[in-house]
Amino acid sequence: MSATADVARMLTLVPWLLERPGASIDEIAETFAVAPDTIRADLAHLDFCGLPGLGGGDLFEVTTVADRVVVRMAEELKRPLRPTAGEALRLVLTVDAVAEVLGDELPALRSAIGKVRAAVGLPEQAADVLGTEGPASLASLRAAVATGRQVRLRYQGRADTAPMPRDLDPWGLHVVDGTWYLQGHDHAADDHRIFRLDRVVAFEITDEPTRTPRPADLATPRYVPGPDDTAVVLEVDARGRWLEDALTVDEVRATDAGGARLSFRTDAPAWVARLVLMAGGDARVLTPDGLREQVSALAQRARERYGRV
Amino acid sequence: MTAKVERLVNLTVALLETNQPMSLAELKRRTGYYDQADQRAARRMFERDKDELRRLGVPIATLPLPFSDEVGYRVVRREYELPDVDLTAEEVAALALAVRLTGGEGTPLALAKLAARAPDPAELPEPTTRVELADQAVGAVADAILDRTAVRFAYRTAAGVAGVRTIDPYAVVRRRTAGYLVGRDHDRDALRAFRLDRMTELPVAVGEAAAFERPSDLDVAAAVQGPEVDGVEVELAVAPAARWAVESRGGQDTGRTHEGEPVMVLAELDPDRDRSWILGLGADVTVLVPASLREAVMASLDAVTEAAQ
Repeated sequence: MSATADVARMLTLVPWLLERPGASIDEIAETFAVAPDTIRADLAHLDFCGLPGLGGGDLFEVTTVADRVVVRMAEELKRPLRPTAGEALRLVLTVDAVAEVLGDELPALRSAIGKVRAAVGLPEQAADVLGTEGPASLASLRAAVATGRQVRLRYQGRADTAPMPRDLDPWGLHVVDGTWYLQGHDHAADDHRIFRLDRVVAFEITDEPTRTPRPADLATPRYVPGPDDTAVVLEVDARGRWLEDALTVDEVRATDAGGARLSFRTDAPAWVARLVLMAGGDARVLTPDGLREQVSALAQRARERYGRV
Repeated sequence: MTAKVERLVNLTVALLETNQPMSLAELKRRTGYYDQADQRAARRMFERDKDELRRLGVPIATLPLPFSDEVGYRVVRREYELPDVDLTAEEVAALALAVRLTGGEGTPLALAKLAARAPDPAELPEPTTRVELADQAVGAVADAILDRTAVRFAYRTAAGVAGVRTIDPYAVVRRRTAGYLVGRDHDRDALRAFRLDRMTELPVAVGEAAAFERPSDLDVAAAVQGPEVDGVEVELAVAPAARWAVESRGGQDTGRTHEGEPVMVLAELDPDRDRSWILGLGADVTVLVPASLREAVMASLDAVTEAAQ
């Protein structure tokens, strides 16, 4: 971490500690989201700060007993430095996004945002979050998670040709950049599974209590390539560059006229074939050959529906 | 040698405690730093320290000194200090939870500043939902938005067209995975939205602060979503596998059939953007009405087949 970041933290640490004599090192570390040893190093430095002088001022006095910290003689820094514009904007955007998702569960967050915006001088119009609203199923699924009831889904998996029934113990909901997921223990697979809510066709909350307890730390629902996954290379025109955002791409290499070559791996080639079809000629599969043939066959079958009229 | 962090903290203290601007010589006497034999080296060290503190948001003013050619420096306390934010224990807890859920870099420090003199957080129940957000490069535009300064940056459009834009930055908007800068484009004299990750060079400020007013009727959602398109009514013949997908898009069964398949109607489709959604349904739907969309889909399917050759 840079000295600059350390100074920013120390200038905030002093007023924070002046208000909380006897705070524990662990509590401080949690608040500032750094390791306890980083806080110990900060305190060691602060013990050498402060300017003794005739006209007032003194060395700061930092006392640590049994991991409890007391700071004295640091009145020059009794209030925190104002957040920078960047800090203020990021904080407001972050908290706003969470309020969109959890506002009903955390009513205090909504009133807090107004106060934060006023304090940092950021009008409502200057920072906004759009498109985080969840699906209609949300309230019922939240209740199922909170009360520990089993859920039966009809679910369109990426690799399935049609929606399939799935029974699960719901563990928690998760929003990643506006996409909603339900995590839980899938009874048929007898394992942890992640379901995208926009692929849930129908659901039913049963009266059965959940049986498998939720693990302490739920993993992030993000695709991790496995050894059996297919390596794919797509070539996209400038108009097909949106595919870059739809896929988790390992490598992007720009080509002529604003196009690009995208390399990535996937566990669901059929889903990639659909994406290429969606690009309507603005994308083509370079490798593997099997996927290119799959796209071609899919396009021809779709085209034949029009041929018969 | 004294640690740099201590020097920066003490320089801040010295600049805060003074009521008169201090020359470098006075700062040297007060702090004991910048005492190198080579005066130019001392000046360089001070200039670097001053720039670094300014980057943290320490408002160091440069002022003329009476009876001297030199300049002096000081920090005006009320510009440095964040006034108390009147947060309740519940609000502090809700903000801390939001910051912890998202784990954004820099947000814990911003919150520690705001809550430094607020009550300690109340106990809150564990929420049912976790939230994750991609980190957005808002830092580069934050100052310009708060100061109302025009910015210039190199940009690549979704269609791959590169160019330089000059805009009055009104707002930062987060929508799903992307962050956008919304503002008035000088050359087009119109409201536009720019994806932060499509800026190919960082924005630089051009001109004075407070150069524009943010419009009171600013509609950031409209700017990000693009111009309103007249929706068209679309009729599809739908195979069973695609029925849920069409229903989830608001499709209604007309009661009629086409070659044994139900005919469903969707109101307000955007014939350009929704064409790719229809293509993605592959051989499970046929567009019946309007004829223009039907032909566009047929042409796109032919283009896919051709691209796969």
